Amino acid sequence: ELRTLRLGSCVITANLQAIRNVFSEIRDSVQARDENIDMRILRNTGSLQDTKPSDRCCLLRHLLRLYLDRVFKNYQTSDHHTLRIISNLANSFLTIKKDLGICHDHMTCHCGKEATEKYRQILHHFEELEPQAAVVKALGELNILLRWMEEM
Amino acid sequence: NGVAVLPAPQNLSVHSTNMKHLLTWSPVILPGEMTFYSVEYQGEYESLYTSHVWIPSSSCSPTNGSECDITDDITATVPYNLRVRTTRDSQTSAWSTLEHPFNRNSTVLMPPRMEVTKDGFHLVLELEDLGPQFEFLVVYWRREPGAKEHAKVVRRGGIPVHLETMDAGAAYCVKAQALVKTIGRHSAFSQAKCVEVQGESLPL
Repeated sequence: ELRTLRLGSCVITANLQAIRNVFSEIRDSVQARDENIDMRILRNTGSLQDTKPSDRCCLLRHLLRLYLDRVFKNYQTSDHHTLRIISNLANSFLTIKKDLGICHDHMTCHCGKEATEKYRQILHHFEELEPQAAVVKALGELNILLRWMEEM
Repeated sequence: NGVAVLPAPQNLSVHSTNMKHLLTWSPVILPGEMTFYSVEYQGEYESLYTSHVWIPSSSCSPTNGSECDITDDITATVPYNLRVRTTRDSQTSAWSTLEHPFNRNSTVLMPPRMEVTKDGFHLVLELEDLGPQFEFLVVYWRREPGAKEHAKVVRRGGIPVHLETMDAGAAYCVKAQALVKTIGRHSAFSQAKCVEVQGESLPL
């Protein structure tokens, strides 16, 4: 079921339920590898809902880029099924990022101070952790990101 | 050490209809034991971000036929690279790669098969179950001059759908097209099928 995401003036559609179904196949095993359970990278204070509409597209674009550039490609696994699931997630996120890129081309994906500051904080939390631990935690928190997107 | 000595498969191509994607190649004929093949894919993400990464197909690594149903591997609407090699014991051929990446938005969409029946005065339709990615636009009308067409979106095939309560002696017609939102396309309409309350299903 395609869902409409309203990110200020940027409106896109995405099959979030399909992505959630796919992620659920590896969520438990990924989260089980997360040893830093007393901290979070994606915190409520930095959420999309807590961001003013005009900055939401930019923040989401930054977050997708984080996952595409530093999470999916660095998650270490020898399990073929997990590899396929991550490929599915990454290519689905790539599709969404392309749609946000169209908004950016049409000047409807403005990066204001709020988006920039919130992303800086999220990146700080991500970089506080050892690299592979950060990748594991960020992948495990994908359901948080999906929930943020579902609430747009 | 598995140095490439086997001939590589040739003539790779993808045949895609109604979001079912079949990769085929010319079989490699070798004397003696059976020949196997391995299929791997990479989506646009892999080719852009991790070009060395190829993912074994979920159903054809290995396989002994000269085709592979890659439907479950093609999970996003992005271009996919595909490659195949021959394997036998520890020997492998070089990889043969599909000449052009495949994107599922190029699938051929055929009109759905359908069955139009009457249950007493009720006009009932059952559409072919084409899988979760498909919805259907159904158009039906009473067969008479100037008749108004009614439209209805059916979310899933394979289950009977009540369309209309018919008037005695009247004939009603139905046609349908398949919709795939994930690729933003639809099929042509099927041929219309008609039933008459007292008659049998009458092709147009």
